[in-house]
Amino acid sequence: MRPSSLQPSLSVDIGPLSLRNPVMTASGTFGYGEEYAPFVDLNRLGALIVKGLSLEPRAGNPPPRLAETPSGLLNAVGLQNIGVKAFVKEKLPFLKEYSTAIIANIFGETVDEYGKVAEILGMADGLSALEVNISCPNVKKGGIAFGSSPEMAAEVTKRVREATDLPMIMKLSPNVTDISHIAESVESAGADAVSLINTLAGMAVDVEHRKPVLYNVTGGLSGPAIKPVALRMVWQVVNRVNIPVIGLGGIMCPNDALEFLIVGARAVEVGTASFLNPHATMNILEGIETYLREHSISDIGDLIGTLERP
Amino acid sequence: MHPVPLFIKGRILDNLEAVRGHFLLRLKLPPAFHHPVPGQFVMIRVTESQTPLLARPMSIYAFEKGAGHSVLEIFYRVAGAGTRILSGLKPGDELSLLGPLGNGFSGNQEARRAILIAGGIGISPLTFLAASLSPIREPFPVEMTAYVGAQRKEALAGLDRLSAVCPDIRICTDDGSMGYGGRVTELFERELDAFDPQGCAVYACGPRAMMKRLAELLEKHPLPCQVSVEERMACGLGACLGCAVAVRTPGGDVAFMRACKDGPVFDIRRIDW
Ligand SMILES: Cc1cc2nc3c(=O)[nH]c(=O)nc-3n(C[C@H](O)[C@H](O)[C@H](O)COP(=O)(O)OP(=O)(O)OC[C@H]3O[C@@H](n4cnc5c(N)ncnc54)[C@H](O)[C@@H]3O)c2cc1C
Ligand SMILES: Cc1cc2nc3c(=O)[nH]c(=O)nc-3n(C[C@H](O)[C@H](O)[C@H](O)COP(=O)(O)O)c2cc1C
Ligand code: FES
Repeated sequence: MRPSSLQPSLSVDIGPLSLRNPVMTASGTFGYGEEYAPFVDLNRLGALIVKGLSLEPRAGNPPPRLAETPSGLLNAVGLQNIGVKAFVKEKLPFLKEYSTAIIANIFGETVDEYGKVAEILGMADGLSALEVNISCPNVKKGGIAFGSSPEMAAEVTKRVREATDLPMIMKLSPNVTDISHIAESVESAGADAVSLINTLAGMAVDVEHRKPVLYNVTGGLSGPAIKPVALRMVWQVVNRVNIPVIGLGGIMCPNDALEFLIVGARAVEVGTASFLNPHATMNILEGIETYLREHSISDIGDLIGTLERP
Repeated sequence: MHPVPLFIKGRILDNLEAVRGHFLLRLKLPPAFHHPVPGQFVMIRVTESQTPLLARPMSIYAFEKGAGHSVLEIFYRVAGAGTRILSGLKPGDELSLLGPLGNGFSGNQEARRAILIAGGIGISPLTFLAASLSPIREPFPVEMTAYVGAQRKEALAGLDRLSAVCPDIRICTDDGSMGYGGRVTELFERELDAFDPQGCAVYACGPRAMMKRLAELLEKHPLPCQVSVEERMACGLGACLGCAVAVRTPGGDVAFMRACKDGPVFDIRRIDW
């Protein structure tokens, strides 16, 4: 309990996971936490989600990996990461020292790889949950993303569920015809929550050289450019599933975060914004708090999902 | 370990065109900003709006710690939309910046002579290096030779400042309009054998093609060489993995390192050009 009645309660529950506030870091935009520790008191975050982890280390794509587009950023990092074992050994001990919920983002190229990564992390000490990135291509199915079919998404969900008791957040891809259909599918397969959206597939061309700007040709779009799309998708999913929804995509300021909460997101993730301002997560958290105080809302739960009719 | 970077606001003291298309930006910073090492850089946001979205990486050209505040200098070339906006900012305007970032040049204690090789705007970090090398060794300052290249005479920028700390400047222009007619790496190749590899260290910054050629020249030569590389960046802090530089691993494979955190200064022989 907060000592002062003027201090609104910010804590939220994401299924079995209790967070001190709804502001989390988006995977791949906050490294393994230590990179931003000089700027952000990691203990003030609702949760810290680390860079996506695979069973083995991955080198990632050759450069250029970044391209700027109007109000957006295209990236084709290629899921470079140190691998789950090195994470547990080298990065988790640092993160464990914090009282913040640490969430590992995971991915695989086969259903089995998802399961193995989840097993290893399930046995590690210091994690509060898993976020499962299903935007990754399924090598056994000709490279279509797991997250693009309800059946494959459900299969991954079930496999991870078998592998660990950790709370499980399925991170949905927006590159689908009907995202709420995928959300329903992972809900029935046992997901504790869903987070959305991952990046939107995009590309950019250098007209002087008539070449793609990214070595990988296509990349994932993030930043303010995707926010309206992300917000619409979160709203759709909230109206279709009963599990908690975490909203993200282009959240740059408190107002952006409030939009997601009002349409029904239980928490938000901040990504690209941290690149422009390393204090972005804290500015957003403080802005949410100010809004609650100014609107005399004593508990954030009284704001979530309060979208009125037009 | 370098001191931790800060995200702060700087006030523009002046922002003047030195040579066509090249600007000298002087920023007044709060005293908390740490003293940078030559080769380190800052990420500058040219606007608080969302276009362009990302901050621009810029090497530190000079730094002076004063009473109550510090002055940071950036020497930049107008290369596109972001630097064009920057060039329009006026004295008194404020901008956000993050720094100092990355690993700078590491001074080679044995070297009595520093050879600087600059292509275009690459002269910026090397000028900061030259300025910091000369007084360090009083009364035995490091001797310096600089090779400075540009496409043509009009594009040679930053010579005044460099010549104040390094009198031995060998100019090269691609069109022969000033100094040696040809590339810096050509002139350096001709004179390479005159340098004693024991007491010399090479520091280079310039276009990729220049540094690649330099890597070839030095492949079978014992001269040590550090280069500052450029890659596109988003965070500048080692978090996004956007600024990948291909390096050779001891096992012979290629791995990606981060220009912002593991660099931007690398041993030239480590990079897979
Ligand atoms: C460590 C480092 C130090 C640098 N120091 C200097 C300096 O001292 N003076 C100077 O004039 N320039 C320097 N640069 C290059 C400078 O960052 C780019 O010229 C600048 O970002 C171009 O931005 P723009 O919006 O004008 O161009 P645009 O072409 O519109 O930029 C588009 C995108 O490409 C990126 N980009 C374009 N060119 C480069 C490049 N060469 N390197 C990295 N990213 C690039 C931009 O950041 C942006 O994201 C440095 C780059 C790095 C990585
Ligand atoms: C450079 C970069 C790397 C990313 N890496 C991952 C990742 O490893 N796993 C993942 O699930 N999402 C990853 N993402 C997606 C983000 O977590 C987030 O879904 C997306 O950027 C949209 O949010 P934003 O607009 O706030 O950045 C990455 C995004 C960026 C920009
Ligand atoms: S710019 Fe983000 S890791 Fe280098």
